[in-house]
Amino acid sequence: MRAIVKSTVLFVMAVFAVASASAQQQICPPRPPAGTLIVNPLDLFSQNGVLNVDLTLQNQMGSDGFEHYCYVYMYQGQQVEAPTLRLNPGDRLELNLTNNIQAPYGLYSQKHQMHMSMFQPGRPGAKPTDDCNGGQILPSTTNVHFHGLNVPPICHQDDVIYTLIQSGDPPFEYNVQIPPNDNPGMYWYHPHAHGQATTQVDGGAAGAIFIEGTIPGTQGLPERVFVIRQQFRNPNSWLPGPNQLTVNFQPAIFPNSPSPFINVQYNQPEFWRIANSTTQAFLTLQLQFTSGLQQLEIVALDGVPLQNPIYTNEIDLPPAGRVEFITPGLPNNQEGAFSTLGFDTGPVGNPNPPQQLWKIFGTDDPKLKVRPAPAPTKPPADRQRFAGLLTQQPTTTRSLFFSEQTVGSNGPTQYFITVNGQKPHVFHMDDPPAIVTNTGAVEDWTIENRSGEAHDFHIHQLHFLLMAINGVPVQNPELYDSFTIPNWSGSGPFPSITVRMDFRDPNIAGTFVYHCHILDHEDGGMMAKIQVNPSNQR
Amino acid sequence: MKNLVVSLLVVTGVFLMPSLLGAANKPKPADSPIYVITNDDGTLHSYGSFYQAAGTQEAPTLTYLQSVNTHGFGIGGGFFGMPRVAMVPSSSAQCVYISDASSGDIAAIDIQSQQLVGNFSGSMNDNGTSNGIGMVMNQNYLYAGYSLSNTIATFSVGAGCQLSFLGDITVTPLNGGWVAGMALNGNILVVTYIDGSIQSFNTANGIPISNNDEQNASGFASAFFPDGVDVTQDGHFAIFADAAVPTTVEVSDLSSGKLGPTVQYLVSNTTNVIGPGVNSATVRLSPDQSLLYIGNSQSGTVTAAFFNKNTGAVTPGCSSQQLKNFYNPWSYIGGLATRDTTGTGNVLYVAEFGSSIGILTVGPMGCTLTESAASPVTDELSPGLLSIQVYPPRPF
Repeated sequence: MRAIVKSTVLFVMAVFAVASASAQQQICPPRPPAGTLIVNPLDLFSQNGVLNVDLTLQNQMGSDGFEHYCYVYMYQGQQVEAPTLRLNPGDRLELNLTNNIQAPYGLYSQKHQMHMSMFQPGRPGAKPTDDCNGGQILPSTTNVHFHGLNVPPICHQDDVIYTLIQSGDPPFEYNVQIPPNDNPGMYWYHPHAHGQATTQVDGGAAGAIFIEGTIPGTQGLPERVFVIRQQFRNPNSWLPGPNQLTVNFQPAIFPNSPSPFINVQYNQPEFWRIANSTTQAFLTLQLQFTSGLQQLEIVALDGVPLQNPIYTNEIDLPPAGRVEFITPGLPNNQEGAFSTLGFDTGPVGNPNPPQQLWKIFGTDDPKLKVRPAPAPTKPPADRQRFAGLLTQQPTTTRSLFFSEQTVGSNGPTQYFITVNGQKPHVFHMDDPPAIVTNTGAVEDWTIENRSGEAHDFHIHQLHFLLMAINGVPVQNPELYDSFTIPNWSGSGPFPSITVRMDFRDPNIAGTFVYHCHILDHEDGGMMAKIQVNPSNQR
Repeated sequence: MKNLVVSLLVVTGVFLMPSLLGAANKPKPADSPIYVITNDDGTLHSYGSFYQAAGTQEAPTLTYLQSVNTHGFGIGGGFFGMPRVAMVPSSSAQCVYISDASSGDIAAIDIQSQQLVGNFSGSMNDNGTSNGIGMVMNQNYLYAGYSLSNTIATFSVGAGCQLSFLGDITVTPLNGGWVAGMALNGNILVVTYIDGSIQSFNTANGIPISNNDEQNASGFASAFFPDGVDVTQDGHFAIFADAAVPTTVEVSDLSSGKLGPTVQYLVSNTTNVIGPGVNSATVRLSPDQSLLYIGNSQSGTVTAAFFNKNTGAVTPGCSSQQLKNFYNPWSYIGGLATRDTTGTGNVLYVAEFGSSIGILTVGPMGCTLTESAASPVTDELSPGLLSIQVYPPRPF
């Protein structure tokens, strides 16, 4: 069943109309120029419980001087990049991915290959001809991580260890079963071949996923989807190189170029859904109208609706994080700007300078209205995933820490995430699990940062409940899949978070990874495996 | 003419005034030149550049003399704590050795004539193309650590700066590292592997023999990995610079002839140490061993910690301001060397990764590190300066 394409296609087609003339030469669709209207990505909706999508990942040096890695979807003979995938809880995502990555791969360096095994042995007991059986990781190797989805770490679903798709392979079929009790909200997809993730995601290989459902307070509001990406001229430069943020592929480089913009109806609150799909940008988001700084009503974080909205005028959004919030209406005769204020990642961290992301202009023209978020087609599950986690008694506690080493000018910087008591170790694909546990377990992990830059803790397959920051209990714990741990100042206790991991769902069984979601760190080895055994295999 | 007279008076004053202030401020006599020698590590042509140190302690100067083509090739970078300029630790030293990491050879240069004497190579297995070739030496032997092959070659030192290759050993870091920092005292060679492990060797018979003391330093559990290393004059203590946040060193008791477990010291004198000291990768004892100079490679600062040569204890001292032009255009602090062979060394030279030499005055009273007005001095032929030495060298 092909995906159903709805209203935004007209906008998208207009933006990409220019592509038709040169479609023969284009490997990746042209991206919108700076200073133009931001439109929502193309929506692909599931139908009858299935969303079937054919994507091709390919690459090309763009005319903007950046290497583009594009998820191409063909719609009515046109290439469309990185569509939004929309499914209901319980639906199945059938994604057929063709890897058409070709040399040259951009300014890829071999720095991460100096110290890591780029060969993943097959799964125990698997035949060489089996799918998801490891192999060599090359600059042209890819796979897909369905970031935030609470789905099994198994072949054809959300496995990034053994699933390695080589350029020229037949289309690889992902067959992802969305849990019927998963939370409605924003997720995203991106490549996760170890050592190659930075290059491919920097190139733009990322798209939004929505699990449809009712988020209180958002019904009927105009919905906008913003995927913020980041592109580097040299993603592997040791010193921060020229880089820029983009919004739905449009450069946000004001004042070097006019900001992208949106037109909103005066006095109409809107529902904004933002994914930080950058490789390393920590965003501190603010909305400013002519009349001043605006209060935002956060209704969901990392794809999980909040129990109670958070009202704030500043949102910290780490790499890979998502935030969904309601904006106030733009008063008549005013305009606005949405910006990141910058973020201090520490003395050895990369710069995160302030940047205006887009401008907001008001209109009364009904033709410029955007559609509201689609109504869910299924009732919500009686009991959401991770329900009752807060009151669970942890079966195990663990301590982990981030650290890193820069021992010379040539690198590589060695990045570690270590279980206390184990050896700090740069991740190799063939490493044994650093943590072994069982389904049914509920664990509290304290993760420290012992390095001079911020890190962004992320675990695959499940959300965690943020219990404490620096040992201080969080008043209203919420679920996240990525969270910032600031740099260590060099004195006093290490900054830390304490999170509660929920391994109660039997579908979690398998081996998967946790890592820093600064992708250069992940590619550099700041990652480890966890193996969750079925509870009957203790 | 009037201006010239004024200038001459000023210049004369610069040299006369210090003599009234005490011996520490005496300009160096012209008949005992002090040279600062660099390994320029150029990838197309590599040089050893000679500078002459002069001026006072308060206003030290460094004047470029010439660059000697090593006829080899460098790599433009490498491990911070790896010593890539070597000479016998004695005022009688006649030769300086500069390693060519890419071509894999060691260039011998006559210090007085500043002429290349020859190039010497180890075995076919020796390879330092990843992060350099470190060297330490005494009157009899030169030891060269090759970062990629993880081999240590032994050369006997002959007359006229000649080296004769004797043999190789292969080292096996505990956690997959590479040979980096090296220090030699008496018959003990101490090395770091930048993976948290360290080791010493007995060199009494020339080719190193392991002392069977390979171990993870104490900081290993927190991923604080030793990079540079120095050893006290009496061989009692080995001091390791941890590439870590914050400024951290580890001290091992060597008095048994083996490395003892390291004791870790955080050596900041401020409550918030992140500013002055990030990634303390290089270390150098002052000639009198009262101060321990520490290069904070990623914050562009140098720390001087107080060192007790009797107990090995390290206590917080002082830190420099961030050195001029940090991150624009140079980006890391590399090796350190003192100008004088007595006391605190009085003036400290700093290899700045990115073609310059920093100059710091060590305060005569207490602990201060002040960058001189003449600092930095451009080392034009180096694409990424990391190693530096002073002739006459510190006597150990």
